[in-house]
Amino acid sequence: MNNEMTLSFAAHEENEALARMTMTCFITPLDPTLEELSEFKTIVSEAVTNAIIHGYDCDGSREVTIHAKIEDSKVTMTVRDDGNGIFDVDQAMEPMFTTKPLLERSGMGFTIMESFADSLSVESAIGQGTVVRFEKTFSPVTEKSRMR
Amino acid sequence: MTQLSITPEGIIVVTLQGELGNHEANRIRTQISSEIFGGTAHAIIWDLTHLSFMDSSGIGLVLGRMRDLAPQQGETLILNPSPTMEKIFQFSGLGSVVRRGTIENAIGEIGGVYHEQ
Repeated sequence: MNNEMTLSFAAHEENEALARMTMTCFITPLDPTLEELSEFKTIVSEAVTNAIIHGYDCDGSREVTIHAKIEDSKVTMTVRDDGNGIFDVDQAMEPMFTTKPLLERSGMGFTIMESFADSLSVESAIGQGTVVRFEKTFSPVTEKSRMR
Repeated sequence: MTQLSITPEGIIVVTLQGELGNHEANRIRTQISSEIFGGTAHAIIWDLTHLSFMDSSGIGLVLGRMRDLAPQQGETLILNPSPTMEKIFQFSGLGSVVRRGTIENAIGEIGGVYHEQ
């Protein structure tokens, strides 16, 4: 079944769990394996945390927007903020690079997102914000049981 | 929920449950750090057996405590992460401190004795 959703929320750290939970529910009908599900959830968490911490410096008056679409077994998702923007996207995507070492950010967010997604792209402009877009295709676990 | 205990040999055992993202990591960081700085801790074991989710915030938390323990050349072990978490640790160069097994074994490896609580 094809499906589509949009979720907007204030840039509070507390809402990271809300985003993870909502997106997990949204893709549950695809019958993902446990590992696929937790990889997807990790991508969501990394992208949303980036938007809140780096995009908005945790300014709860600002808004993060997630849009997601299911087409067959493929999920396409964007996480958008209208915040600070990334100065150098290539540099930001390097493993261990972080602009916030004092907050103990590991600089591994983009590396993890790239590894767990089938494809990932980042559009960003200083002072305008950042859009992270990724795709992930799931292999339904019930396929096998149906074939029995 | 986080449980923190320390063995008589100074090994901190952090048992994490539920989800560990940025928000949760920020809440437990100070608690663990003050245990390291306030006591005689020289090693830390992260028991992730009952942790259902972790993102790169967990990496920041573990690496940060490794730094806290660096003056004492403190050891770190990560116990029973899920397959997804293990990948994250491997990406971050922490694959060599991941272990499968019991807390008792992990404490033994560091050189302590497990005391039933």
